[in-house]
Amino acid sequence: MTMVSVSSDNFQPVATDSPVKVDIRNLDFFYGDSRALKNINLGLAPNRVTAFIGPSGCGKSTLLRVLNRMYDLYPNQRAAGEVLLDGRNILDPQVDINLLRARVGMVFQKPTPFPMTIYDNISFGIKLYEKLPKSELDDRVETALKGAALWKEVKDKLGASGLSLSGGQQQRLCIARTVAIRPEVILFDEPCSALDPISTAKIEELIDELKTQYTIAIVTHNMQQAARVSDFTAFMYLGDLIEFGETSHMFTSPEKRETQDYITGRFG
Amino acid sequence: MSEHTVKAYDAELDLIGAKIAEMGGIAEKMLVDAMDALSRLDMELAKRVVISDPRLDALQREIEDQVVQTIARRQPMAVDLRELMASIHIAGDLERTGDLAKNIAKRAMKVADDPRVMRAVVGLKHMAEVAAMQLKDVLDAYAQRDVGRAKAVWTRDADLDALEDSIFRDLLTFMMEDPRNISFCTHLLFCAKNLERVGDHATNIAENVNFMVTGQSLPMNRPKGD
Repeated sequence: MTMVSVSSDNFQPVATDSPVKVDIRNLDFFYGDSRALKNINLGLAPNRVTAFIGPSGCGKSTLLRVLNRMYDLYPNQRAAGEVLLDGRNILDPQVDINLLRARVGMVFQKPTPFPMTIYDNISFGIKLYEKLPKSELDDRVETALKGAALWKEVKDKLGASGLSLSGGQQQRLCIARTVAIRPEVILFDEPCSALDPISTAKIEELIDELKTQYTIAIVTHNMQQAARVSDFTAFMYLGDLIEFGETSHMFTSPEKRETQDYITGRFG
Repeated sequence: MSEHTVKAYDAELDLIGAKIAEMGGIAEKMLVDAMDALSRLDMELAKRVVISDPRLDALQREIEDQVVQTIARRQPMAVDLRELMASIHIAGDLERTGDLAKNIAKRAMKVADDPRVMRAVVGLKHMAEVAAMQLKDVLDAYAQRDVGRAKAVWTRDADLDALEDSIFRDLLTFMMEDPRNISFCTHLLFCAKNLERVGDHATNIAENVNFMVTGQSLPMNRPKGD
């Protein structure tokens, strides 16, 4: 295991030949005494979508929450091991959490627009990190909404409340809010589970476009969705990473019996 | 293989498997009967082969419909997806095998009034036995998900290719011996070709059984006997 020294420039990428954006090494996670992740080793490839599948309680959402240290908000939760973002260990206590979350954005299961205008929903996050003149801020909001394929639907009502949008639009607003900060990695935690099939298709199309610019990890209960959107798939069970590989292989010829039983609906 | 949580899914896959087995049984019987009809010049048997064929065609269609339905409704993955894809291919191979047997039966009817056939058909009978054995073995390999047996069929196809070659030379001798033999020998040559094609369908099925069970494809280059 390589230890990486953390310095004040800990967000400067280190030069590496490895085609891995996020390198998870020997990762354990504990809720109090309960070990929810067991020695996970896995790399997220840049500009690729990696899907995490597995039954409830398998640790997939926990793993996602480690990647931007969402667990830091809760006492008695801790991670051990390393998560290297461009070679730097983000689990190091010296890492600035706010900067980390600007680099690793997250979209949740239920759309969570702020109770403010559509415009402010996007500009709010940008203003936390950057001081921009109004015209530049307008541009950034527009670019973010276009990036989330929402611009055409809201460009004439940027002053309306974010809560006035449909569920699918709200989710795309949340994605716009995430991309507005120009992250490098986007984490999706079951982003379509509250959406109808058409809204789901729009999000999936969006994920396909977003991967040209970002490294993407998605947790989903919908196996077909994992098969549709991802390049790599990780199957987890009871805190273990059972199998990780190319999606094209995982859904046609998985190596492990447990994976096959799960994806074919023969589980338990 | 353990069962699906949704029992109806297992029932659908079982039904498709049962139909493939029925097709296999019919195709096997058609092949053996067609060859018996030819070697004994038994016209009644030849006719029975011909009228068995529509049932095979109907089963193939039912299997295709059922597979499409299952794909649409269940979105099969992994071994289930491979099994369904293999089923469609195997049903196609068995339907073609039936067509080839039917063609042998029709040729039997055409040469029936020529007693010289009996002498010329000996080599063909042996080839038909090998082809029928290949078909039987590969159907057993399918039923038992037996990759070793499927691979053995796949390798043994070279024997059929070699037999076809030797029958070709035998029949050529007959034709050179007496030009009146040319007409029925031509029919027998086509029968040999049909049996060689039956062997090819058996190897296709072997490849599908291998893919269905292992998820891997057999190599592109198969041993050839010609």
